[in-house]
Amino acid sequence: MGRSLTAESWFLRNNMMGKSVDISVDFAGVKLANPVFTASGTCGYADELADFMTVNKLGGFITKSITAAPRKGNAVPRIVETDSGMLNAIGLANIGLDKFIKEKLPILRKMSPAIFVNVAGQTIEEYTAVMERLAAEDAIAGFELNISCPNVKKGGISFGTDAGAVAEITSAVKKAAGEKVLMVKLSPCVTDISVMARAAVDAGADAISLINTFTAMVIDIERRKPVLANRTGGLSGPAIKPIAVYMVNKVYNEVTKSCGVPILGLGGIRTASDAIEFIIAGASAVAVGTWNFVEPQGTINIIEGIKQYCLRNNIADIKELTGSLL
Amino acid sequence: MGTSKKGQFCAAVSANRQIGRRCYRLSLAFEGTGAKAFGELLPGQFAEVDLSEVALPVMEKIPQDLRDASKREIILRRPFSFCDVTVQRNKTIAEILYCVVGPASLRMTTLSAGDSVSVIGPLGNGFSMPKGKKTALLLAGGMGAPPLLHLAKVIRRDYPKIECVAFAGAKTKEELPFKLRLDKASIKSGLVLDEFAKYKIKSFVSTDDGSAGYTGFVTDCLVQWLDECGLKEKDLIIYGCGPEAMLARAAEIADERKIDCQVSMEQMMACGIGLCQSCAVECKTDGSGETIYKMCCKDGPVFDSRELVFKK
Repeated sequence: MGRSLTAESWFLRNNMMGKSVDISVDFAGVKLANPVFTASGTCGYADELADFMTVNKLGGFITKSITAAPRKGNAVPRIVETDSGMLNAIGLANIGLDKFIKEKLPILRKMSPAIFVNVAGQTIEEYTAVMERLAAEDAIAGFELNISCPNVKKGGISFGTDAGAVAEITSAVKKAAGEKVLMVKLSPCVTDISVMARAAVDAGADAISLINTFTAMVIDIERRKPVLANRTGGLSGPAIKPIAVYMVNKVYNEVTKSCGVPILGLGGIRTASDAIEFIIAGASAVAVGTWNFVEPQGTINIIEGIKQYCLRNNIADIKELTGSLL
Repeated sequence: MGTSKKGQFCAAVSANRQIGRRCYRLSLAFEGTGAKAFGELLPGQFAEVDLSEVALPVMEKIPQDLRDASKREIILRRPFSFCDVTVQRNKTIAEILYCVVGPASLRMTTLSAGDSVSVIGPLGNGFSMPKGKKTALLLAGGMGAPPLLHLAKVIRRDYPKIECVAFAGAKTKEELPFKLRLDKASIKSGLVLDEFAKYKIKSFVSTDDGSAGYTGFVTDCLVQWLDECGLKEKDLIIYGCGPEAMLARAAEIADERKIDCQVSMEQMMACGIGLCQSCAVECKTDGSGETIYKMCCKDGPVFDSRELVFKK
């Protein structure tokens, strides 16, 4: 494949003998073999991905959003490509909690990455109901609270753009999550993302993931209509990466550094270099989203690339790198 | 509707010939496991091709109406069906018939022999073979023709006793992805499509503006043929690929006349492998009147027409 790092990896394997690097991470008490996750909504429930890559090589896996009842999702078109990115308005289409437990959990249980279930809902009660059912499942390491989906009429981003609502829902679901790690996924569509991160952390979040997509629009100028049936969608991909890196760094400095809550950084990651930017900015782990659509094996190259970066820079432990921005 | 083993492969470009004003035929050579996987590709299955690193043509070669589009960065792969698959001793040649419409297909035109591209496939479900039928009707709208050419070849090879008739339509003569040959001996229009004729399949040509063949929609041409053919409906099967409005009309015709009908659907998709959930196709459920969304990439792209709910 054109994107593998054959020549370089050969050189490193033959010239870095004797050096070792630890890229395992303790993420809010969950031991990860490496700091790379797949992002919610970009790899389904892992079964589809398994045809193209070894899921067990990932540090963590985050499921597509689960809601109490199944959701059909939005009308089509649901996606449109943009310069160095794409908009999506899937609308939280998912099989619902019952089917997830019956059909998908048994598959996920056999996998080695830490499994986080992304949970969405229209009301606080719906979020807590889903988490209470899943809290006793040993296949799951934790939850990712989706309060940042821009593509649904109720719930989603409406919880994530008001600090009071962030605090309220976080503390409500914290109880439902029981012993599981509670990660809160933040929306970038706010004036100050640190205010939202602070609200989540103070209300009991064990980890923060950022960023979700930006609300955006593409117009078909011949029809003078938005391309997406939902009119707007969430912008993801390399186009948003520099903003995401900035926001991770801001939240790290202003909120999480002092209290030790880990950040999962995401937004436009395609390469190991991208991932390392997020880690230097303050992320303890990273997630790859849109890029899975293009290179389903991309995460594996990123994990290998992170290792090589550490070797090249004499970093014995990836944890040294988190928040090391000078 | 079967599947073959899919994967991510590196394909070598063996040719990329211009066959019409904006129409090209790209030949991709697969070796090793790719040769096996693509050697088993069924008509109607597709692949996702990474064109993001392929260069644009020089500015003078970019048609005026595509100059704005040529400024667009591309990131996602593009889905393509195949018009022909040839298995050779140690490689498989899979061919894509494509039309230049935007930033990705524009880049595709600069590929030349010796280049390589990353291809994920074969993906989705292909057409089911016309077992138990006597005549297969291949209904192609515009750039919907390629998988039907592949289907024609496979039916000819595996079911030589089954008749095939092709109906190829487009808005104008220029948009037909075929070279037209005039032949007085041929049926009605006097036009022959060599791409089908080489499989000994007769074809009807239609254009919306009457610039070639029958004037009107390809589905009207089909109706006229059905009225005159004198064959039993249960012995027929329709295979359609083309714009959604054409497929909706084909489904309607099939439904009215109780003819089996399979159509290949198209939707915007980011991945083609079931991850992104964007290529939703509305389908009926048993009885209740409720509809569900199936995924064009995994559940399709070929569907039984009775299953589908078309947009009004």
